Amino acid sequence: MKIPRSSRPVFLNPMQIQMPVGAWTSIGHRVTGILLAVGVPVSVYLLDRSLRSEQAFADVSAMFELMPVKGVAVILLWALSHHLLAGVRHLLSDFNLGSPLRAARRSAWFVNLGGVAVALLAAGVLL
Amino acid sequence: MKLSIFRYNPEHDDRPYMQDYEIELVEGDRMLLDVILRLKRQDNTLTFRKSCREGVCGSDAMNINGRNGLACVTPVRSLKEPVVLRPLPSFPIIRDLVVDMTNFFKQYHSISPYLINPEPPPEKERLQSPAERDKLNGAYECIMCGCCSSQCPSFWWNPDKFVGPAGLIQAYRFIFDSRDRATQQRLDNLNDAYRLFRCRTIMNCSEVCPKGLEPSHAIEEIRLKMAKIPVKGGGLEMHRPISPK
Amino acid sequence: MLLFILFLLASLLLHPRDSYAEWRGWVDHPGMTIAIFSFFAALLSHMWVGLRDVLIDYARPASLRLFMLWVVGVALLGMAAWVFWILLRTQR
Repeated sequence: MKIPRSSRPVFLNPMQIQMPVGAWTSIGHRVTGILLAVGVPVSVYLLDRSLRSEQAFADVSAMFELMPVKGVAVILLWALSHHLLAGVRHLLSDFNLGSPLRAARRSAWFVNLGGVAVALLAAGVLL
Repeated sequence: MKLSIFRYNPEHDDRPYMQDYEIELVEGDRMLLDVILRLKRQDNTLTFRKSCREGVCGSDAMNINGRNGLACVTPVRSLKEPVVLRPLPSFPIIRDLVVDMTNFFKQYHSISPYLINPEPPPEKERLQSPAERDKLNGAYECIMCGCCSSQCPSFWWNPDKFVGPAGLIQAYRFIFDSRDRATQQRLDNLNDAYRLFRCRTIMNCSEVCPKGLEPSHAIEEIRLKMAKIPVKGGGLEMHRPISPK
Repeated sequence: MLLFILFLLASLLLHPRDSYAEWRGWVDHPGMTIAIFSFFAALLSHMWVGLRDVLIDYARPASLRLFMLWVVGVALLGMAAWVFWILLRTQR
């Protein structure tokens, strides 16, 4: 059923609306998903090149020594761990685990900080 | 106390603006509603809904310092100043803090919020054991104030197709009512890509509910019931409501 | 998927495949090849669900949404074929 588009204004400025911790987890899940989705074709391409020949493999390995590439790798590792942790949180809530608000807030903090922790670890190792 | 309040009068204003106010708090001021009612004596064009002044009608739901809540049960002295009052997000604004709740109620009506039982009514009442009645705890208390749905990003993006947390917690209330006989129809009614499944468990709804209810948990239980997974039952948890600060 | 990722990380951290021969040899192993392909099959299906969700939320009007869904679907199938071809070529 179509609702006639109202000519009335609405208040919808996300910068002025408070976002609780779970909201950050959720938007992070979506944003990291998109980042990872963009990273997949690139990864497949790198896989392809690295398996072609000795020279191609060397090229790919050399690329990973470059700082900007390492930086991107750290960001993608953050994306992967946030997405993974948020996904597991989602999965558990599907089994009715961690549904009440208090528990949900704790797990949201864990996911948000966990992702960052892994990123820092990765940065420490790679950079 | 300094306040900054959203103003918009379609008859004179092209676009909304924020207006600053200043008012001395008096001893009787406990809740935000007390203050804005006195503010109305300073400026009688300030418009907002209010009725019961005790947190049971849901009329004075608004966005207080970024977080939805009821003005009549939000303690005023602990609010960060300047207190920023805006209307409920994403609902069309009629004037100042008064919003158009038509779509919100349309979603509510769409879940058939009434008992469906074709069996002839017994002489006194349809019987229900205390255990069965307990299953409705944490859902029947909903006052349809709109705080939850207007803080839900999924409801912002698809208000015409996603039922929203308020409608869904009411759907829960009827799905899990032992006296209702239309359970499967209610579940089928919600079973498409949008009506229930736009919920991404962001949980803003449970965060802001001024009655401490948890629509996000209700939605999960409906999902489990749709998948025919046995649900724990025994009602939903409630928590101490978290007021805007 | 999770198990595969953890296995991958552990294996690469403990035994980095530094030379082309080692790398190719590792991927070539029949068990590994099947694991890689299964991982990608799962990954691409997972991506479909996720991206479809994002499009359902934000892509309007319905015709644009349908078009975008087709584009994403075709791209994912394309990637599955690509991975299959890469692994097949490596076997030879």
